[in-house]
Amino acid sequence: MDTATIARERIERLRELAREATVAGRPDRSRRYVRRARRIAERNRLSLPVEFTRFTCDRCDVYLRPGDNARVRLQDGHVVVTCDCGQQARYPYE
Amino acid sequence: MPVTPESLVRHELVGLAVSVTAADNADLVGIEGSVVAETTQTLGVERDDSDRVVHVPKDGTTFTFTLPAGEDVAVEGRRLNGRPARRTENTGDSKWR
Repeated sequence: MDTATIARERIERLRELAREATVAGRPDRSRRYVRRARRIAERNRLSLPVEFTRFTCDRCDVYLRPGDNARVRLQDGHVVVTCDCGQQARYPYE
Repeated sequence: MPVTPESLVRHELVGLAVSVTAADNADLVGIEGSVVAETTQTLGVERDDSDRVVHVPKDGTTFTFTLPAGEDVAVEGRRLNGRPARRTENTGDSKWR
């Protein structure tokens, strides 16, 4: 099996693990998994899946669960996701 | 496709169930739990019977991983030595040593 396939599987696996860690109330463990996944993507020159970029914090790297450790609000033409650490991410909607 | 016995040494170990079957340090034998952390030379195992995470050196230890499919795979810890993010790029066919 080639390296890129394994790397993609690892990123997906780490995303699930990071999510489970957030659910279990272990944000630091979640951060470790998210950072590891980013590093794998970087080393293998893969882009991260959309679910990954949308549900992780750019500043503190924690995996975000709306209602748990993230607020999601709709504004004119865009969505604002606010992490518990204060970092805001925006993306447009139709 | 999830982890297979062939890709295990290059794949993500965190999240797998593991037990230590042989080790240079006899106190480590019998540790069972799930992998929660990995460093270049150690694996962090959260034991089933407590919340504590034990860090087990990879070198000199034989691990038995239980794959999600239910298969048991025994691995020489030395083969797992390496930076976690870089392990994927080691194809494991090196004849060195």
